[in-house]
Amino acid sequence: MGDAIVGVVANPLSGRDIRRLVTQASVFPTAEKANMIQRMLTAFGAVGVQRALLSTDLGGISASVLRAIQRHRPQGPQDARWPEVDFLDGQPIRQTAQDTVDAVRRMVTAGARVIVCLGGDGTARVAASAAGDVPMLALSTGTNNVFPAVREATIAGLAAGLVATGMVPAESATTRAKLLEVRTGDRTETALVDVAVSTERHVGARAVWDPATVTQLFCAFAEPDAIGLSSVLGQLHPVTRHEPHGVTARLAPDAPRHVLAPIAPGLVVPVGVREIEPMHPGVVYPVDASAGVVAVDGERELTFGPGDPPSVRLRTDGPRCVDVPAVLAASARLGLLSKGRNT
Amino acid sequence: MTDTVERKTLTRERLLDVYRTMRTIREFEERVHAEFATGEIPGFVHLYAGEEASAVGVCSNLDDRDTIASTHRGHGHCIARGVDVGEMMAEIYGRKTGSCHGKGGSMHIADLSKGMLGANGIVGGGPPLICGTALAAKIKGTGGVSVAFFGDGGSNQGTTLESMNLASVWNLPAIFVAENNGYAETTSSTWSVASDNIADRAAGFGMPGVIVDGFDFFAAHEAASEAIARAREGGGPTLIEMKFTRYFGHFEGDQQTYRADEVARARAELDCLKRFADHVTETGELSRADLDAVDAEVGTLIDQAVESAKAAPLPTEADLLTDVYVRY
Repeated sequence: MGDAIVGVVANPLSGRDIRRLVTQASVFPTAEKANMIQRMLTAFGAVGVQRALLSTDLGGISASVLRAIQRHRPQGPQDARWPEVDFLDGQPIRQTAQDTVDAVRRMVTAGARVIVCLGGDGTARVAASAAGDVPMLALSTGTNNVFPAVREATIAGLAAGLVATGMVPAESATTRAKLLEVRTGDRTETALVDVAVSTERHVGARAVWDPATVTQLFCAFAEPDAIGLSSVLGQLHPVTRHEPHGVTARLAPDAPRHVLAPIAPGLVVPVGVREIEPMHPGVVYPVDASAGVVAVDGERELTFGPGDPPSVRLRTDGPRCVDVPAVLAASARLGLLSKGRNT
Repeated sequence: MTDTVERKTLTRERLLDVYRTMRTIREFEERVHAEFATGEIPGFVHLYAGEEASAVGVCSNLDDRDTIASTHRGHGHCIARGVDVGEMMAEIYGRKTGSCHGKGGSMHIADLSKGMLGANGIVGGGPPLICGTALAAKIKGTGGVSVAFFGDGGSNQGTTLESMNLASVWNLPAIFVAENNGYAETTSSTWSVASDNIADRAAGFGMPGVIVDGFDFFAAHEAASEAIARAREGGGPTLIEMKFTRYFGHFEGDQQTYRADEVARARAELDCLKRFADHVTETGELSRADLDAVDAEVGTLIDQAVESAKAAPLPTEADLLTDVYVRY
């Protein structure tokens, strides 16, 4: 067994898009992303992680963590030492999603046993595409956060550390997520939560906030308490993350049935829904539009025309995800964080 | 969503206009770059090539009620606002037929008839001006909005920060467009801007702040469209940060020893004109032939502008005391 290594990739641009303008989406400060990494380093150190691999960026996150490492002094024996930290520098920073892909690939190659991802749904989607079979732990620092959890970084760090060190076996504490695969022409994209077909012609500012433009929706899962487009079906036809199927529907403003849905932070709007049907794994579902844009996990990504009609397929071989409550429950059961005995 | 303020749909005609305007800015700047090297153009010029999607993305949402204030790098904003290209070129050559009768030059092109309050030699000089015009629009109830463009250097100026505060306090229809091209003259914005993003400063002034890929016309247009619609409806100011790279030096003659090969990459992979052309031909909204025809038309326009500017007379001694005072 090699070193206990954890990779941490943080997106400097998450939580900054147009939804700050068209809705009241929150701004996630860079300083807090850097603080989250520091809290995780403490947790990693506490459970014996030897190395942490950190992504680099021009947004100020890695610079801030570097300064903190240089200043970090453990406050006595009970204060955990941070693991050795390697910054994945030396590669051009493009300030695009490719930076996340490059960083995750390098973490996989370097032997990371868990990859923690700080961002929104978009960041998790991109990281998942490069993580291969390495377990992922997605923490929310973005806008629409369905896939990444809103969770204290210290706890996430403990869970990631317990899996990376092998104290909790990965097999017992990770689950396989579902995945939606969109194909149009020779282009393929994946989504972890939802795929929306929009009548917009351009990728533009990426986010989708006008439900009248969405004609078809495919969801890998649809939770009643979700934010974003999947919330539409979450209220009408809930599907959990662990069920083997998904759900799809046609949307139209003049549909007889409407549901009030929180399709973005601060935006609760009526959405007209027509036929709803389950999505079965492996089945190819065609898109009923001759031109438009496909949005993956709430961000417009692919444009298409009559020559390349898209199709969507549900896959059950998505990323492996660390189940944080399951890891800490196993730790409790095994007494991994306890010392001494009851008196 | 039902809007009380119309958002301008990008019809075929409007897409052609957008391409024509972005291409005109590019050709204008490439030509000034070449002509400046001959020594015929007096003073300094700061070129906007590479940043076209910002000026056009914003200004294609504006109408006759609206005003803009520009920077020392102002040619693109002038062209996007519809200032006559021939008169602009003459102004840069210091000729009597110029937008300001040859007495302003590159950094002072203004055309109030087009709602263009002026390029501005003072870094951070534009934002206070638009607080004035935005206040006027608000009091008169015209529905007009005002836009200030400024750079990453300008974003650090007290005038800009005070203006954002005032615009928020007075709830003005004002849009602040921070064109972050990475360098204030030769100083990297990653060093000189204390916040990680200029857009982050919006929170401190109680207005929304968004980051936009400044190389992407559609992203810039959409963000500006929403910000402008919000301002017209009385929703107040917005800060938009465009991130991109300028293709030329700070000014013509700048040796650019402070930066490496980012321009070559930007021109090859990120260029706004190339991306726009690839996209609209892929969706079938415009054809390559449509775009080629615009390229030819723009080439002729710029040739004529340079030719006329060179042939035009210089101001005379008698012009020295004209346009100095205004009666109002």
